[in-house]
Amino acid sequence: MIRLSLLQFRVQAVTAAAALAGFAILLAVTGPHLASLYAANGISGCQPASCEHLASNFLQQLYAAGTYWVLYLLGVMLILLTPAVIGLFWGAPLIARELETGTSALAWTQSITRTRWLAVKLTVGGLAAMAVTEGLSLMQAWWAAPIGRAVGHGGNGTNLAMGRFSSLVFATHGITPLGYAMFAYAVGVTAGALIRRTVPAMAVTLAIFAAVQIAMPLWIRPNLFPARHTVIPVTSLDSISLQQGGLNGSRFNLGTGNIPGQPGAWLLSSGAVNAAGQATSTTPAACTTQSMENNTSALMDCLASHGTREAISYQPASRYWAFQWTETAIYLALALALAGYCFLRLNRRLS
Amino acid sequence: MGAVIQTSGLGKQYRRTWALRDCALAIPEGRVVGLVGPNGAGKTTLLRLAVGMLAPTCGTISVLGERPAGGPGQLARVGFVAQDTPVYARMRVADHLRLGAWLNPAWDDELARHRIGQLGLDPRQRAGSLSGGQRAQLALTLALAKRPELLLLDEPVASLDPLARREFLRLLMEAVAEHGVSVVLSSHLVADLERVCDYLIVLVASRVRVAGEVSALLAAHHRLSGPRRDPGTLPASQEVIEESHTDKQSTLLVRTDEPVHDPSWTVRPVSLEDLVLAYMSRAGDDTPARRQRLGVVS
Repeated sequence: MIRLSLLQFRVQAVTAAAALAGFAILLAVTGPHLASLYAANGISGCQPASCEHLASNFLQQLYAAGTYWVLYLLGVMLILLTPAVIGLFWGAPLIARELETGTSALAWTQSITRTRWLAVKLTVGGLAAMAVTEGLSLMQAWWAAPIGRAVGHGGNGTNLAMGRFSSLVFATHGITPLGYAMFAYAVGVTAGALIRRTVPAMAVTLAIFAAVQIAMPLWIRPNLFPARHTVIPVTSLDSISLQQGGLNGSRFNLGTGNIPGQPGAWLLSSGAVNAAGQATSTTPAACTTQSMENNTSALMDCLASHGTREAISYQPASRYWAFQWTETAIYLALALALAGYCFLRLNRRLS
Repeated sequence: MGAVIQTSGLGKQYRRTWALRDCALAIPEGRVVGLVGPNGAGKTTLLRLAVGMLAPTCGTISVLGERPAGGPGQLARVGFVAQDTPVYARMRVADHLRLGAWLNPAWDDELARHRIGQLGLDPRQRAGSLSGGQRAQLALTLALAKRPELLLLDEPVASLDPLARREFLRLLMEAVAEHGVSVVLSSHLVADLERVCDYLIVLVASRVRVAGEVSALLAAHHRLSGPRRDPGTLPASQEVIEESHTDKQSTLLVRTDEPVHDPSWTVRPVSLEDLVLAYMSRAGDDTPARRQRLGVVS
C-alpha cells in the first residue's frame, strides 16, 4: 500500500519539489548579499550603546532597497499559504475524488482494509505536507536570520522590524508550520469525506482553515498562557507616542512599543491608569495648560506627579518556545482528531 | 454445500427510501448467478452490501461465511467489479497490475499479464484513454488475477456494445470454467444473462421477488391458457404471477411445484425472459389489498 500511495503521489511530489527548489534558488541567490549587508553594518560585536542604532540602519537600508522587503513578504506569504494549498489540493481530493470517480470501489475491494488504506494515505500525504512547509520555513529562517538578529538588537523604524511574536513571524518560523500543514491536510481530507465532492470540499477547507488561522493569532494565542501584568511610571517609557486629542487638550493616549527590562516580549495591551489604578484617558486639569501642549516631557512629568502610570500586559520573551510547542500541539491534536473521525466515517458510512 | 452469500432480513435505507428490504438469500457456491431487475431495483445496493462498501441498515449478510470486508483475509476472497468499471484514469494499465500485485497476496501476475496480452492492451497506455470495453476488461482482469473464490460484477456489460458484451461474457465464462469461481453478476437485461447463468435472482422495487436455480425455476413455471376464469378458483398450490384476460380467454403464468392436471388449460413452458418480465411487471401491483383481491398466495 505504501508503494501504491507513493505511485499515486508522484504528481504532487514533483510539484512540491519544484516549488521548494524554486524558492531555494531565489533565496540562495539573494541570501549572501543580505548577510554581507548585515556584516557591513558592523552589528555583530557592536557596543551596547550603538547596537540599536546600527541595527535600525541595517533594517532601513534593506527596506529602502525594496527587493528584500518584497522577498521577505513573499516568503512569509508562501509559508502561510502552503498549508492551505496542501489542504485544498492534496487533502480535499484524497477521499472525495475516489468517491466521485467511483475508484473507491476499486481501492477498497483489494485485499487491504480501508483503515490501512487511509492510514498509509494520511501518513504519506501528512509527512509530505509537513516536510514541504517546514522546508520552506527553514529556508526562510536561514535567509532572514540577519533581519531577526537586527530586530533582536532593538532595530526598529521599518516594516521589517517585526519581533518573533508578531503574527507573520511567529506563524512562519519555528515548528508552527508543521502543525498548520498537518491540520490543513486533515481538514481537507475530512471535508472530502463528508461532502464527497472535491470542489465544494476544497471551498469548505479553505474557509475553515482561513477562519482558524485568523482566530488563532487574534483571540487564542494571546490567551494560551496567562498574561503578565506590570505597571510602570510614565517617565520610564523608553518610547512613547502621545496624542493630545480634542481642542481643549483634555484627553490623551499613551502608547509604548517596548517594555523596560523585557526585551523581545510580546506586548498584548497597554494603557494609562490613574493613582487609584483605574484606566484613564482624561488629563488631570493641572496638566491641560497651554504650556504643556507642545512640551511632551513637561506634560509627562505633570502626569506622573498626578499619579498617572502605564499598565501593561505582556508575554515574556522566554515563553516563545512554550508558545510554539503549545500552538503546534493544538494543531496536531486537531489534525489527529479529524483523522480519527475520517477512520470512523470511512469504516461505517461511506460507499 | 455452503452458501457464498447468506442474508437474512437484510435492508438498506437511504434517508427515507429503502433501497433493499427484507432480503433473505442463500446463494449456493459454484454458481453463476444472474441478479436481474429494473434500474433502481436495489441490485447495486445488494452487491455493495456484499463487498462491504455499504453497511446494512438492518438484518445480516455474510459472504463466504464472514462479514463483508471484515478483514484483509475476507477481502482477498472476493473480487468486485463495480458499475461503470472504474479504473484510475491517470494511471497506466501496467500501474493497475502493479496495484493489484501490491495489494493482493494471492495475486496471479502471470494470469494478469496473459489476459492483458490476450486483450491486446498496451501496458503503457493510460487507463483513462481505454474504450469502455477495454476498461471493463482491465477491471475484470484485476478482479480475476486476485484469485477470488467469489466474483461480484455490477452491470459489467451495461456500457458495452453488443459485440463487446458477448466477448466480455465469453472471456468471463472461460475464466470461471478455468478457475472455478462463483460469480454473481447483475444486469437489467435478462438476455445478457440467459446464456451464462444457472441461478437467478429477480429483484424489483427493493425486494427479492424470486430466487433459485434456473432449471428449477423454468420447471416450476407454466403458462396456462384456456377459457376465461377467475384466478381465485385455482388450486392453492398454484401461485399466479401474471394474468391477462380477454372476454373469453384467460392467460396465466403460474408457479407451482406440482403438475397441472386441469384439462381446461393448455400448458406451455415459459422462457427465462418471460418469467423475469412476469415478476417485474407484478411488482407494481404488490400492495396487500391487491394481493388479497387477486387471491395470490405467496
